[in-house]
Amino acid sequence: MHFLATSIESLGAKLAGWFTVGYALFAFLGRAALLLLEPSTWNRATFDVVIKQVYFTAVQILPVFLAYVLVISWLIITIILSTARDFGLTEFASEMAIRVLVLELLPFLTALFIALRSGSAINTEVALMQVNNELDALVHCKVPPMQFEFMPRLVGGVVSVVTLAGLAGLLALIVGYLAIYGVGTAGFEPYTRTVSNIINFNIMAGLIAKCALFGLAVTLIPVTAGLETPKKLFMVPVSVLRGMMRVFFAIVTIEVVSLALKYI
Amino acid sequence: MNKLHFKVGLFAVASLLLGGAFLVYLLHARGFFEGTFQLQFAASSADNVAPGIPVAFSGIEIGRVTSLGLNDEGGIIIHARFLQRNAKWLKESSTFTLDKPIVGGAKIRVDTPDLNAPALPDNSTVLLLTSDISSELPALVERVKAILDNVEHLTRKDGEINTTLANVQTVTGRMTGEYGMLESILGSPEKARAVTDSLEQTRALIIKLDGLALKMDGMASKADTWLFAEDGVAAQTRESLAQVRLMLNDAQASLQKADAMMANAVDISANVKEGTQDIAALRAEIDDAVRKANALINEINKKWPFKRDPEVKLP
Amino acid sequence: MADAIAALADDVARVSLDLPLRANLSALDNIALIPLYQRHFDAAESARQAQTMLDELGHAEIALLRDSDMTPAQRFVTKLARACMLKRPRLVIDRPGAMLYDVPYPAFIAHLASQAAISGTWEIYDFSWNQALYQA
Repeated sequence: MHFLATSIESLGAKLAGWFTVGYALFAFLGRAALLLLEPSTWNRATFDVVIKQVYFTAVQILPVFLAYVLVISWLIITIILSTARDFGLTEFASEMAIRVLVLELLPFLTALFIALRSGSAINTEVALMQVNNELDALVHCKVPPMQFEFMPRLVGGVVSVVTLAGLAGLLALIVGYLAIYGVGTAGFEPYTRTVSNIINFNIMAGLIAKCALFGLAVTLIPVTAGLETPKKLFMVPVSVLRGMMRVFFAIVTIEVVSLALKYI
Repeated sequence: MNKLHFKVGLFAVASLLLGGAFLVYLLHARGFFEGTFQLQFAASSADNVAPGIPVAFSGIEIGRVTSLGLNDEGGIIIHARFLQRNAKWLKESSTFTLDKPIVGGAKIRVDTPDLNAPALPDNSTVLLLTSDISSELPALVERVKAILDNVEHLTRKDGEINTTLANVQTVTGRMTGEYGMLESILGSPEKARAVTDSLEQTRALIIKLDGLALKMDGMASKADTWLFAEDGVAAQTRESLAQVRLMLNDAQASLQKADAMMANAVDISANVKEGTQDIAALRAEIDDAVRKANALINEINKKWPFKRDPEVKLP
Repeated sequence: MADAIAALADDVARVSLDLPLRANLSALDNIALIPLYQRHFDAAESARQAQTMLDELGHAEIALLRDSDMTPAQRFVTKLARACMLKRPRLVIDRPGAMLYDVPYPAFIAHLASQAAISGTWEIYDFSWNQALYQA
């Protein structure tokens, strides 16, 4: 009996904890969104910080990222093509490759890439700011950190994931064309038809929305996880650990929900 | 000049340009810059038809089904949209057939035998044929061919029957009893009866094949109304029917030949002992051919709607 | 004592060990945050105001240093400049000994105070056993 009571209690505590985390997350998102709507936010300084964030999140890693996309698209397209050939389903291969890569795998990998690189960095930085009292100092100066510390990171994350996933998708389309039809314009017509079959404007809007959610998840969650850190230096790694776990679950959830919406 | 800003600016410009180029490409691919060409299909059934299934000319997709619905008379109307550049494949002589392969999605096949025929006007209504028959014909032809081969194999010049007959001819001696010579060849009245039974079966089969051939003739003559199309489709279907009929006739002829030879064999005075093995083998083969031919006839009768009213009402 | 200081009213600008600089911004940017985000000046004007403040305190050379590159005295000057930039009626220096451990700090603060053309009073909260230092 006692065992049952304790397990129910621990379950309740866990649920309450999740609720608190979720509430903090969405309240923070709401504040950031409200700030975005204020015209006074959009001054040159905020814009500069956003640009800096985009630079660190997207531009800095562009060569490495594109090389990685090139390799992974080439591999996956080749595997799909040769498998399809073995089973005599060549006509479905290009469609399958585009669907798998452009719509699902590359956005997912982009989100993971940004999460590992920028998400963890953001989480650590915010946790350190919190532990070092830097945020308190900003509060004392009546300078709201949201505008130049957090909101630009969210915007930068969204912009970066959307553009990087878009560029990766374009690169994969080109790689796919080269893998299937080789160099030359002979396959342009059939390839165009395949692309148009797969990508209509609903799919396009869904893809952009998904990437935007990915971008939000890989920045918003680390920021809020960092803000939760107790003011003890040894809690910083714990905060990063928790934040990254949540980011991972959020990315997988977004992917699963988008798949469910698309195919069910 | 701020290097960081320059890089981000370059990134933004490049991304926007690429994104814009892709958007234009997508609009082009989806035919946004071109006029579209509409067709309505009148069909007897909307089975396997759904919005989005492709309309293909020579295996290349040229359009898609956009919607389907019923008209006031309860007929089925299927709307399809084509790009203007693909309209040139649609002629007045074109036929439209709904294909449902075993693997993969359904599609509407366009056959245009004469590309110089007058173009189909926009928004016109054409008939959509279902390919039940057309798709089963090739399979059927294959099976008839197989049986024919079998029969031919039986009756080939140096085949078993001829050898057997040669053997039989050397058999001497007068046979008595109900089954005459056969009884003595086979050693018992039961075995002899079996051989004559197969002969009976062969004859019955020949009669059935005759009936079927008659039905086929009837069907071929009806194909015009049945498929209610101009020469294009009907010709194809009729050809296939004629082919099947030809083969059945062949099979019939071969079996008749076998029958005649067997009948001869019965009458011939022959060397009893040497013929025994050959005649047993022959019997088995004839039985097999008869069984297969019978199954084929049943199949044809089952699949082809000889009794149903084959005419399709136009919506 | 720390609690008492933390509970001070909003019209007090504090210089304290508990209120560090933003670690990834230069001294100039740290000071410029206030005109930039509180008073909505543009970036160039904010930077100019911050630079002027450092000039007045006689430490223009530290403008581009970050927190980790500064000596304790430079760090203190930056914090002081930030506090002055707040333009609040009272300025409280909380336990300067904790921040200025590399210089004789009462004299250092007096020297800064004499240079800055800042209105209002500077209050120094320090431990009573350090009182002798100020009387020298």
